Amino acid sequence: MPSSISNSEPAKAGPPIGDSHGDPSGGLHSEITRQRTIPDQPWPRIALAVAIAVVIGVAAWEVTCRSWGYRPGLDDTNDLWVEARRTVKPDSTVIIGSSRALFGLDLNALEAGLGTRPVQLALVGSCPYPVLRHLADDATFHGTVICDIVPGLLVVPYMAPPYKNAEKAVKRLHTQSWSQWAGLHLSIPLELTFACLQQEDLNLAALLRHVPLPDRPKAQIGPALPPHFSTIDRDRRTWMRPEVLTDQTLCDRVKYGWPPLFTPPPKPSWIPEGPFGEFMGKLFNERFVDMAKAVSDLRTRGGKVVFVRMPSSGELRQLEERLTPRAAVWDRLLKDTGSPGIWFEDHPELTGFECPEWSHLSAADSVEFTKRLAPFLKQALAAR
Amino acid sequence: MLFNSLTFVVFFLVVYGAYRLLPGWGMRKNLLLASSYVFYAAWNPPFALLLLLSTVVDWWLAGRMGAETHAGRRKLWLIISLVTNLGLLSFFKYGDFLMENTKILLAAIGIDYHPPDLGILLPVGISFYTFHTLSYTIDVYRGQLKPEASLRDFALFVSFFPQLVAGPIIRAKDFLYQLQAPPVPVPGRFTWGLFLMTLGLFQKVVIADTLLAPAADTVFGHPFPLAALDAWTGALAFGMQVFFDFSGYTLTAIGADLCFGFYLLNNFHFPYGAVGFSDFWRRWHISLSSWLRDYLYVPLGGNRFGTLRTLFNLMLVMLIGGLWHGAAWTFVVWGALHGLLLIAERGVRSLTEGAAWASRTPAQLAAWLATIAGVTVTWVFFRSQDFGSAMKNVLSMAGFFGAQGDQILATRDLVAVGSVVVVVLILHRALRDSSIEAVVQRLPAWAVAAAWIVMSLSVLLTQGNGNAFIYFQF
Repeated sequence: MPSSISNSEPAKAGPPIGDSHGDPSGGLHSEITRQRTIPDQPWPRIALAVAIAVVIGVAAWEVTCRSWGYRPGLDDTNDLWVEARRTVKPDSTVIIGSSRALFGLDLNALEAGLGTRPVQLALVGSCPYPVLRHLADDATFHGTVICDIVPGLLVVPYMAPPYKNAEKAVKRLHTQSWSQWAGLHLSIPLELTFACLQQEDLNLAALLRHVPLPDRPKAQIGPALPPHFSTIDRDRRTWMRPEVLTDQTLCDRVKYGWPPLFTPPPKPSWIPEGPFGEFMGKLFNERFVDMAKAVSDLRTRGGKVVFVRMPSSGELRQLEERLTPRAAVWDRLLKDTGSPGIWFEDHPELTGFECPEWSHLSAADSVEFTKRLAPFLKQALAAR
Repeated sequence: MLFNSLTFVVFFLVVYGAYRLLPGWGMRKNLLLASSYVFYAAWNPPFALLLLLSTVVDWWLAGRMGAETHAGRRKLWLIISLVTNLGLLSFFKYGDFLMENTKILLAAIGIDYHPPDLGILLPVGISFYTFHTLSYTIDVYRGQLKPEASLRDFALFVSFFPQLVAGPIIRAKDFLYQLQAPPVPVPGRFTWGLFLMTLGLFQKVVIADTLLAPAADTVFGHPFPLAALDAWTGALAFGMQVFFDFSGYTLTAIGADLCFGFYLLNNFHFPYGAVGFSDFWRRWHISLSSWLRDYLYVPLGGNRFGTLRTLFNLMLVMLIGGLWHGAAWTFVVWGALHGLLLIAERGVRSLTEGAAWASRTPAQLAAWLATIAGVTVTWVFFRSQDFGSAMKNVLSMAGFFGAQGDQILATRDLVAVGSVVVVVLILHRALRDSSIEAVVQRLPAWAVAAAWIVMSLSVLLTQGNGNAFIYFQF
């Protein structure tokens, strides 16, 4: 089907800059391709075949994902965080911190226990400081902050991914465009319909990571993130998937993924020991100064902050204590900020919860844990 | 609004559906104009007013120019247009850069000056639409184009959404005439447009974002010296990423335009098949290089006033081309390096002119590989945050740190980048005198369908998890 407007030559540019030999205009007249070539193909039949094949392909992929145990659910994106952040009122109670607060704090139980429904602003794998600073900088906010503390995440340097994760979410609040806002609202119905729309595990990049390739012996490769093992709702309440309790392989994949993630990377070989230690020590100390300043700024406006150490178990619990001892991080945080804190092991009511994969409470335990935690929160907040 | 977003898919379907349903050509153009402003405002609504300002000023000034016969006054209208457009571009794009460098210069002579933090946000696409409108006023001034009587048509030329924010940079004379009458129906045009959009999105979200960006980001984000393999892989990954990212955008734009019945020029022509740097610039970001040639290099005298003047013009144009990409000295150095490479190429060509061996296959292959190597080294300056990082990476590529250099790339990244590089080099070399259209024309229908299915499913599999287009920041 030769098109009547066909121009089988590719669109050619004029002579390149500096190569306009014999052309005094330097090729001023751009060679206008007034029409483009339409390749001679049976396009209607091709389009129909492609449409049918894509529908079949998507359906087959959806069936495959469901057979692997995936179910429709929301993606925990920064836009979802922004949506939650926009619901914060001046006197709201908000939860900040990491995935332990997302998994372990039940919003209904907290609402029942505290008399107010908190807004869930915790972020997976994040340092709480950037969000605390952001709330302290919000002159309208004078509410209550329940701040989940994972000691290793609190003291990460500002250039580390956990810090950047939180910064990105805060930045999204200020930079979110109409199209990004619309994208969130258009994607939600799709995510609640299709199981294959799981960004963490089932997008192309994640699938390619499963290709088994041995790495170079000296390669400095960061640890892998855990597989998808949770679901999240519109309020950002997050539940551990029940499969983690029944599928030991999945449970182990998550469990043994934590120690490498919690272990700091080795010192760069290009920086001498002394200056590196000094630099990291300075950053460590600055984090406490910054936290204290943020808490003080909030308090000045009538806000309250209470810190919570959520449960962890097994070897991870021991590793955390070894890398970030309670006295060096938790005790110092409470002392420097003058804020109340609830360490789960200090209260018999809060102990005895076993995290199936060492780091997070199961869905059922999270409700019970929160019910027991609420009175302590109330007490801590009333005391200040 | 990103092409690689669900929002754009819905936007495109709604606009296209309404475009087909509306009865009159005028109403259709009104729809496209309104949609284009919605598309642009979806990033930052106030900046749509800036776009409107630039459009109205140039339309009005060109109208005055067209009605004026006095040469001096025509020039005055042109100068007002240049000052307005370049003034806006300078303020928004280079304001902070100028302030910061003024501070450094004054500090060098002992003056402690602290410029105010202007906190200027860069309006997306300003470099592109400024060049769209400038080409119009300059062409009208030169008498090569009549002023457009319809503000609506001119505004649509400036703002038509597919090419608004990242090109290709279109000329008024290439587009305005297409608005005079509704497009004549052409069998297969809409489907071919959809095919090109799919190919563009595949290039962007699958090849650039999924296969290449991880290696490039890892290497250019690493603050310490690298092993040569990692440094080269990172530089090649970025060189390929920026091609697929930008080519993907423009192919999507060309495809979207075709769906509505409009035709745009190609912006890339298998650039990694180039033999020599002038050949590279004939194939890379063609709409920018031809714009700079026609509105800067030729007015400066081009190659008409002797060798020294030609070299000076060449270097100046490449420096400005570098600065067009961003307000940072690393971009200026990138442009300067390309200027030096173009000058060196002229020297080599004059030395080898007439030599039979120079046109034989081994010499051509060597020249091709040297072109790729040279272009790849320049990308290091384009991508690096500062000179320290750039020099660290260049030294790493030269093997300066030997076995001490950090190995930071996973085997997966090495394989992904290596595979893409090999495929691209083979394809660009083989197709350097061909075109996508010619390739698709030669393929059997089942192969076209199969390629389209694979690309579509791959794009869907990325779940819209792509990044913004690199050229949006320019």
